[in-house]
Formats: sequence, structure tokens, C-alpha cells
Amino acid sequence: MNLLQYQPGESFLHKLNPVTKLLAVFLYCVACIISDSIFVELGLIFLMLIICFFAGLGKRALSLTKNLLILGGMMFILQLLFVRTGTPLLKIGSLCIFTTGGVFSALLLSCRIIATMLPMMLLFAITQMTDLCGAMVKRLHIPYRYAFIVTTAFRFVPLFTSEFHDIEDAQKARGVEYDTKNIFKKIGLVVPLVVPLLMSSLKKVDAGAMSAEVRGFNLRTVRSGYRDYPFAAGDGVCIALTVVLIIISALL
Amino acid sequence: MLAFEHVHFEYPETPPIIPDLSFTIGDGDFVALIGSNGAGKSTVSRLANGLLLPTSGKVLLDGADTRTTRTSAIARKVGFLFQNPDRQICQNTVREELAFGLKVQGVPEEEVKARTEEALRDFSLDGDWFPFTRSRGERQRIALASVLICRPKMVILDEPTTGLDYKECIAIMDYITRLNRETGLTVLMVSHDMELVQQYAKRVLVLTNGQLQGDGPVTEIMKDLSILEKAHVRPAQIPALALRFGDRFKDVYTVDEMAAALKAAAKKGGAPA
Ligand SMILES: Nc1ncnc2c1ncn2[C@@H]1O[C@H](COP(=O)(O)OP(=O)(O)OP(=O)(O)O)[C@@H](O)[C@H]1O
Ligand SMILES: [Mg+2]
Repeated sequence: MNLLQYQPGESFLHKLNPVTKLLAVFLYCVACIISDSIFVELGLIFLMLIICFFAGLGKRALSLTKNLLILGGMMFILQLLFVRTGTPLLKIGSLCIFTTGGVFSALLLSCRIIATMLPMMLLFAITQMTDLCGAMVKRLHIPYRYAFIVTTAFRFVPLFTSEFHDIEDAQKARGVEYDTKNIFKKIGLVVPLVVPLLMSSLKKVDAGAMSAEVRGFNLRTVRSGYRDYPFAAGDGVCIALTVVLIIISALL
Repeated sequence: MLAFEHVHFEYPETPPIIPDLSFTIGDGDFVALIGSNGAGKSTVSRLANGLLLPTSGKVLLDGADTRTTRTSAIARKVGFLFQNPDRQICQNTVREELAFGLKVQGVPEEEVKARTEEALRDFSLDGDWFPFTRSRGERQRIALASVLICRPKMVILDEPTTGLDYKECIAIMDYITRLNRETGLTVLMVSHDMELVQQYAKRVLVLTNGQLQGDGPVTEIMKDLSILEKAHVRPAQIPALALRFGDRFKDVYTVDEMAAALKAAAKKGGAPA
């Protein structure tokens, strides 16, 4: 399953205004970033999971968390080895491997990463890119071409993943060994993957630009869109709640 | 060479694409796999070279189970030409592109050079071309050359000639047929073009909804219009026409044979029927 793909639904999260979703995610991330407490970070992750469960996105959120744990784990190890404050916890001879400060900041950082990434990635699950684009034009009066650039970039992500898999298959079929354990060999194998991907992307972008042009892309204005994306009471409540979250995480 | 034994396959979160499929392909055979869009032809061809693994059942290549063989080991034995050549072209010049497959397989430098030059000649390619901007047909030829240069025992061709002009199409097919005849290369070809199938293949497998509807010599399948209809393919014209003329035309498959048979019938007087 593609972790960034839109998942259709009728939940309260889906029904929010796309602009609200974007802003709420941003505020949620701010709350995660300004907090210095591991417990608040854990609480924010937990809260996000609960919200997702109520919105029928539980399975998706859990598998996302699982994937983010890998990233969190890597950051944890890096921080552990590089932060040298506090008292040494593990020593081999006179060499200090890690310290109390290292453990603390590593834990905080990896929790923070998971807490910020989770809502961002869930945004893709509940928002269709055309809606986000339309709402940005209608509500924020961002020129269509810029809104289009942003949303198109995101829309290309799943496209590229599937293209990438096909290319990998094609290279495997001619004997390129992706199952090798040797790291250096693996790095050398990037060329047969990236070059075809780059070439096909360039072609796609070219074709996309041309088809946008012939369909009168340049003529589009705020009033070209049919849907209006009005704000509703729920949007206000949502933003108010995330602001409260920021205040809580700043105070704790 | 290749054996499917009660292969069952489904993609994650889809109904079974292939419920239960069994067939074998012998050494040196030239088999065409036909069927409607979405019948599972590409899936079967990917199963055949270990890119996909059966959910249950077995795919055997020379007796070795694809589930326990590394894909790189399979790749030495089985070449695979995708419909879209751009997926595999990754080098700056045609010469490097051809050499790439050999280098990956650890062929010594000297031999790589010799075989590359030979392949360039065989496929009338220019080694200094920048491959990405060549025409579709030329890119397909480059891709095919870089597959065949590795001298696999078997090739799988997934719609190798779609989008090629007639000349390019014939050039590719003639080359493959020559290898099939002279070196015993086993060929499994997915195609929608019955004219092509009847001209080159020896045996035809007909797939609908992941099930084998027909399996037999090309001459037999070509005249079984009901099977061809199930596979949503347009029958080859000459055999279909011959079928209407009845028994006297039962061995007619090509234009030449049709012309000869018609002349013979005209001599005897009266229209055939
Ligand atoms: N990666 C995938 N994930 C899920 N389903 C897939 C995937 N690839 C193919 N399918 C499904 O499997 C079925 C068979 O597909 P396949 O590509 O094997 O058909 P095909 O016979 O090659 O068709 P075509 O003539 O269009 O190439 C189709 O219904 C398709 O939707
Ligand atoms: Mg196919």
C-alpha cells in the first residue's frame, strides 16, 4: 500500500476545509517542535493516533507510525553518538560511548520527528490534491500556477514510486543484484535505477506542461474554479483546538 | 525449461489474478501467450522469471524453484524484454548500455568488448548513439540487443513489437527466430497481433482471467475462432478466410498458400466452397 495515497472517506477529518487541514497540520507540528518534554511528544503522537482511529484511519496511522519508527530509530542512534552532555553512561576503556544527555536528547528528537511527521503524512490520506489546490486558490488567493506547482509535486510522488518499482524490476530482470549485502556494491547500483527514473520524469513533465498549455492553463483565474470551499464552524473549532495544543505544549 | 505447477497468484489486496495455472515449455520452443487486456499475461511472464513469486504452487526453471533461486541467477538464464524499453536503458551510449548487462554478470573485459561490437553489427546499431533520444523502435532494438547479448537460454518478450513499424517489427522477430532455430533459444512471447503469432510462434497459450483456455500448435489455435474470440484478439485473416472455404483449404495459413490454393481451385473451375 502506498503510504502517501489519498484514502477516500466521509469522516469529520475528511470534511474539513483543505486549507484548515493544512493550517492545523502546521500548528500541530509547531506544538511538537516547541515542546521540550518527551511526555508531551508521546502524548501528541498518541493523540494523533486516537484522532485517526475515530476518523477510520487507524490502520493507516499505525502502519505509518511503524515506518516512522525506523526513521526515529536511526535519528536516535545518531544523536546518541554525537551529543556529549551530562555524565557518561557507557564507557569502553577511556572512550565514552554515550552520555545521559545523549540519551535524553536522542529520545526527545526521535519522538519529535515521529510526532511531526505523522500529521504531515496523514494530510495526504485525507486530502485530495485537486481540493487542496482549489481551496488555496479560492480561500488564500494564491495564484493558480503556484498552487498547482505545489500540489503537482505531491501528486507525482505515488506516480514515481510505481515507476520506480517497475524500473527496479526491469533492472533485476537483467541481472542487477539488488539483494546484495555489500553496501558499496549497492551504491553503485543506484545509476541503473535513477537514470531511467530521471529520464521518464523529464518526459512526463514535458508532456504534462504541454498538455496544460493546450488546455489553456495560462487563462485560469480565481473565478475559473466551480467549487467554492467555504469555511464551516468545524474549521474554527479545529484551529482553536490546535492553538490550545500549542499553548499546552509550550507551558508543560 | 519452464514449468508452472498449480500456480496460484494474487497481488496484495486483490482477488486472485491467477487461480490455478499449470503448463510446461520445453527447450527450444517458441510459445506465444495471448489473451485480453488484464487477462494476466504480464503477471504470468513476471512469475516466469521470478520477479513475482507464486502465492502457492511452483514455478520451475530447469528444475529450480524460482522461490529459492536469486533473481540475479535467474537473470543469467532468462532474458526479459519489457514493453517499455525506457525502464532499462540507463547508460550514456549504446555501447555502454550493451556492455552493462555483461559487466553486471561478471563477464571478462575482453569478451565484453568483442560481444558488444558483434551485437552492434547484428542489430545495426551505432555504438556512439545517445540512447534516450532515439526513436521508439531504435530504443526497443537497443533494449533487445542488451538482453540477447547476455546469451540467455530463454527470453520472455512482453509485447515486444507494440508501437513498432512493420520493418522494425520484422527485423526484431526475424532475429529472434534465427536464434530460436540456430541456438535453441526458448521464446515466450506475449502478443496481441495474431498475424505475428501465426507467422513466428510454434505453440500458442490462450489465457483468459488467469486461466488457460487453449494450448496447442499455432495451426490449431489459429483456426479455433471461438477461443480467439474469448481472448479478445482479432484472428489472423488468411486462416480465418481459409476456414470459410472448407476442407480443401485446411492447410492454408499464409498469403502464398492461399494464392496457390485459390489458383488450384480456379483451375478446377467454380468458386471454392
Ligand atoms: N501491481 C499490481 N497490483 C495490483 N493489481 C495488479 C497489479 N498489476 C496488475 N494487476 C492486476 O492484475 C490483472 C492482470 O494484469 P496483467 O498486467 O497481468 O494483465 P495483462 O494480460 O498483461 O494485460 P495487458 O494486455 O493490458 O498488458 C489486472 O486485472 C490488473 O489490474
Ligand atoms: Mg501486460
